[in-house]
Amino acid sequence: MSDMLRAPAEIKYADELDYLESVDTGPKPSTWRLSPRMIRTFVLGSEPSDGLDREIGQKWFGERGIVERAVVTLASDRGLLLIGDPGTGKSWLAELLAAAVSRNSTQVVQGTAGTTEDHIKYSWNVSMVIGRGQSRESMIPSPIMTAMETGTIGRFEELTRSTSDVQDALISILSEKYISVPELEGQDGIVFAKPGFSVIATANSRDRGVNDLSSALKRRFNFVRIPVVTNKASEAEIVRFRTEELLRRHQIDLEVPPTLLDVLLRSFGDLRDVAATAGSDDQRLESALSTAEQIGVLEDAVLHGTFFGQRTLTATTLGSSLVGSLARRAPEDSAILTKYLTNTVKPRSEEEGGEWPEFLAGGLDTLKALA
Amino acid sequence: MSGTATRVPADGGHPAPDTFDALRVQLHDAAAAFAGAPGALDGILRGLVDDVDRALREPLEVFPVCHHSPASATAMARRLRVKQPRTVFLELCEDMAPLLAELRNCRLPVAVQAFATRVDGFPAAWAPLSVVAPITEASAEYQAIAYALETPGVELVLVDRSSDHVFQWQPLREDAGAADPDAAPAEPEAALHGDAVGVELGDLRPRFADLEQHLLRHGKVRHWSEWWHQYVELPLGDADHGTYRQVMFLIGSLFRRLAPGDTDRVRVDEDRERYMWTRIREHLAATGADPADCVYVCGAYHAASRVAEFGVHGTDTFTVPPRTATEWQYGLIPSSHTAIEAQFGLERGSVSIAAAQWEKNLKRTRTQPYRLKGQAGTKASRARKTAAPAPEVGAESADMLSGFLRRPPVLDPLDRQELLGWSVDIVRAARRNGYLASTADAIAVYETAILLAGLRDRARPTPYDFQDAAVTCIEKDTVPGRRDVRRLVEIMMGGDRIGQVGYESLPPLARDVHDRLAPLGLNLQQRGVKRALLDIKSDPRLKPCSDVLWMLRHLLPPGAARPIMGERRLGEQSVQESWDLALGTHQRALIELGYEGVSLEQVVEQRLRREANAPQADAAVVLRTVEDATLYLGSRRLADELGTRALQVLSTERSVDGAPEVLRRVRELLAFYRTTEPVLPEWIEQFAKTGYAHYCTLLPTAFTDEAATVRQVAAMLGFLFSMEGLALSLGSDRTQLELAVAQSHPEEPAKTALLWAAQVQLGRMSREELRGRCDELLANPLVLPAYPRYLSGLLHALEPVPGLVDVVVEAVSNAFARLPDRVLLPWLPVLITTLRAGGADLAPLLTREAGRVFPGQLAALDAWVPPWRAPAVIPAGPARPAARQGVDLLAGHPATCDALAELLGCDDGWAVDEASGGSALLARHPATADALALLLDPV
Repeated sequence: MSDMLRAPAEIKYADELDYLESVDTGPKPSTWRLSPRMIRTFVLGSEPSDGLDREIGQKWFGERGIVERAVVTLASDRGLLLIGDPGTGKSWLAELLAAAVSRNSTQVVQGTAGTTEDHIKYSWNVSMVIGRGQSRESMIPSPIMTAMETGTIGRFEELTRSTSDVQDALISILSEKYISVPELEGQDGIVFAKPGFSVIATANSRDRGVNDLSSALKRRFNFVRIPVVTNKASEAEIVRFRTEELLRRHQIDLEVPPTLLDVLLRSFGDLRDVAATAGSDDQRLESALSTAEQIGVLEDAVLHGTFFGQRTLTATTLGSSLVGSLARRAPEDSAILTKYLTNTVKPRSEEEGGEWPEFLAGGLDTLKALA
Repeated sequence: MSGTATRVPADGGHPAPDTFDALRVQLHDAAAAFAGAPGALDGILRGLVDDVDRALREPLEVFPVCHHSPASATAMARRLRVKQPRTVFLELCEDMAPLLAELRNCRLPVAVQAFATRVDGFPAAWAPLSVVAPITEASAEYQAIAYALETPGVELVLVDRSSDHVFQWQPLREDAGAADPDAAPAEPEAALHGDAVGVELGDLRPRFADLEQHLLRHGKVRHWSEWWHQYVELPLGDADHGTYRQVMFLIGSLFRRLAPGDTDRVRVDEDRERYMWTRIREHLAATGADPADCVYVCGAYHAASRVAEFGVHGTDTFTVPPRTATEWQYGLIPSSHTAIEAQFGLERGSVSIAAAQWEKNLKRTRTQPYRLKGQAGTKASRARKTAAPAPEVGAESADMLSGFLRRPPVLDPLDRQELLGWSVDIVRAARRNGYLASTADAIAVYETAILLAGLRDRARPTPYDFQDAAVTCIEKDTVPGRRDVRRLVEIMMGGDRIGQVGYESLPPLARDVHDRLAPLGLNLQQRGVKRALLDIKSDPRLKPCSDVLWMLRHLLPPGAARPIMGERRLGEQSVQESWDLALGTHQRALIELGYEGVSLEQVVEQRLRREANAPQADAAVVLRTVEDATLYLGSRRLADELGTRALQVLSTERSVDGAPEVLRRVRELLAFYRTTEPVLPEWIEQFAKTGYAHYCTLLPTAFTDEAATVRQVAAMLGFLFSMEGLALSLGSDRTQLELAVAQSHPEEPAKTALLWAAQVQLGRMSREELRGRCDELLANPLVLPAYPRYLSGLLHALEPVPGLVDVVVEAVSNAFARLPDRVLLPWLPVLITTLRAGGADLAPLLTREAGRVFPGQLAALDAWVPPWRAPAVIPAGPARPAARQGVDLLAGHPATCDALAELLGCDDGWAVDEASGGSALLARHPATADALALLLDPV
């Protein structure tokens, strides 16, 4: 585990999963490793009323109803499509669910413009085909086909980034639950899905219109929308949780002061307000200003502070990282950030003081450097 | 408490002293196990049982209810059928009692309202005061009301504090206006109660936020309504009377005991309990009714009261405080499920779901509910052949709590069928709203709902589970129509129901409005917008309708009556009108008008009078009320009265802020009276005279006062010049104006130009002088930058001195011709915006004159010379005075004058006026004339 940069959820939380499996007495659908209730506990953390001997930490922060709807969808006949703005935790939830249901969250197809039908179904090991001809041995099953064969969960990331014909390859997989292999004959010519198979796909709502799903495919997915977290307390919790995890991963021993976390949350809140009232795309930042972006900014600041600074996180670094991460388009984003820093942060730093003056200085310096 | 010996009636309806001992022991053990030692927890747990015990021992049957709880309503209906009490005491404002009989004329939900526009004894800022008590069909209070009103010999007594006390006891809340920024935008139906204070029977919700959060978290539900539905409503739906009462007492006691903090609220609650019990005892003493024949219906929270006044044998230590002198009006207003949810902070859709649950409970338990005869909008009460299952008599005396608390809810066999129906219906509704939903979705919804319920520890899917399932399976990335799946489920579950107050229960004013609008032939009671077309010319009967509509437009909020075509202005009358009417939608506003008077005219008159007599009313406002009185009421009497008030207000005014408005309105009124009345009203003559003197006095100050704008000073001058004729004829002195102008020494360029115009009008300055001054300004580089401001003054001067328009055109043209760009260009936008904003009526004057002066064709421009640059034409010769002609005539035909002279006794004879004109000069210096005579006639 230690030699992995990022362990998948089923390895990272193997202890918890083992424990939950050992105490789980609830009914489990087909080959599921945990019952739906235990999956909910695994994702959202345990309550004292659950009567468990050990505490299960909360791993995904959001409405309980979302998790329940997602779990129930996996137990039904349909695929699960998690849709939402970038950085709302769709992939993380998909990974947790796959890990909890089938202890394997790595059967992933990444949707891109270059994804082909082979990535979803199967391809051939050309040298083996030349040597032994076409057979099940010389076939390379896709992660989805593997999931079908093992009755586990297959994942499809960024479904809407792949082209429509590739997406439509999923239709027969989701409805008929088999893949036919016309190159092979007899029983080898068809791969049936075992009970327990399902697909968790994620889609970015900002990509709508790029490669819209066909109605036929939409019908085979239950859509669960993951909202952007707007509750400040929850967001602080998420940022803290994820940052601690990242720091652990980078083996950095550094404390994030609560005042700086507050500065970060408030500045994102302000920028979201700006985006909400903006009349056109030119007046709003290109960034979706999601929770993941906040974590990105904080991570950047922490890394910068650790390796180039005084091994502490300062407001100056944070301001600099914020501008560095959010200023993507040359004139528009810089102008919005300049306006924000001078019109909102400057008066605030004069009124409230605290970390704001340093934050302002860091931000303005970076803006100057970018100009 | 538990040890006290209470009289137990013979029917065994009250518990034996040791009934709850087993439960007490069990709770004691539980407290010891959880808390480690029997301490505070033990006190609370045992206290809960004591509260239940105490309420059960009360000789007057206390019936605990929760608001909008179908289980309460079902239990109430059953209990009333069995017990048939002679008196029903109800926790509802006692002063609302007379209105309850009117409920039968309404379609529920409606709200009983107490309303006070003029407050006496409360802070003036609180006015108008409004208290509403919404009543839905699926409520215990409606069952009690219907039973009492429909059963002969049964008395219904409302015992809660009056509406007046609601406000007397209301603490001042500063945060009342703070809105939740995350809240969804309110629907129009949510505002049906306006900003009234809501009262309702049986408010039952944890007063302790942490407790509520704890219950929600451990109940694995999202909001309070869902918790209640799952943990109380469903299990109690089939419970017998004894269990129902004990459980409700327990919940009331739990929320009461775990409610620290808000001492104000606790005090008010306890005072209400003292109030109610005092009233009950008073009534029992007065009528001699047997407590065993009575039922006291109150919120479960109040049933667990520990005040000394509690009970038939409670102490009489509470004195009911007197009401304030505020005069309250009462009526019924329409309500809606959404309005109730918004008012009492319930989850959206919860009241609709409660209504659906009520229907279901009735069907399942075969309970026959009480309904008021003739109640509109409810299904006719079918006389069920099968009687309602008889509840166990005397069961309440046993300990029903222990069993209830351990028993899981039973799955109802009807539910599977119902869930299937819902699944099919939602798919059908979704398809109608543009979703690509199919039978496969119905199957998926059905399956998902069951799975979700299982995941949430529920034996059967609740409407909330079903809603989640439908959203999961049908909602995709976009909402194709106006409504999303969540909303569709809400509508399917009964949707929002909007009540309506029947014609018979409307206040006289509202009935009168409907009667008077009957010739339109529209069903105005119905909600929605109706288009009314009034061809007054061909059908003069519609004229009164038009009058009513204009008054409604004046009185009701925008949207209730909106004219599409036709207008009402002084001296104008439409021959055809077209209106969009939404009186059904704005029924509350119409009903609240009814609290102010018995007819529209009376309300308009009152409001106009109030407006005119308000301390902050200025002359312009009062003149507007005069205009409104003329327009809407056609009342010369009121107009005169208000006009006199305008006169008073004007003479006490010290500012000239309202001068433009005063001038406009008084001009219109004057024009109206001149065309319609044989003589001008006394007040307007006096107004002209007083105004003349008033503005003359203020003029010199206004010219120098920086706060007075050019427009205001121009309006003052406008008043002075246009009212001059009338004022002088009534004895005003022109010297006053001349002096005022002479005393004015403005420094501001615009006002200086205005003063010049006034001087021209008064003849103290010639037009040539004015022209000369303008030229001088243009020629002087030092004052050149200020020229536009002078020009602005001249433009404003068109208001009082419209005859100066040619000079103004000249001045503007010169400005364009001679001003340097650096001055002209920045000024141009100012000119245009000023003309647009303030000179809408002056601009046509200016353009007309410009059109006259400037050539119409481009070709003519080359040869064109502005009239002011054209060489002066010397007049051919002095015109012969016209007056001479008449004199000659008199001399030619002297008979009339002779007769007059004789009559007057003048016998001097005709005198030849030698000295008139130049002839006197001729007589004195005859040389020139003689020379001329010689020249003309050499002979």
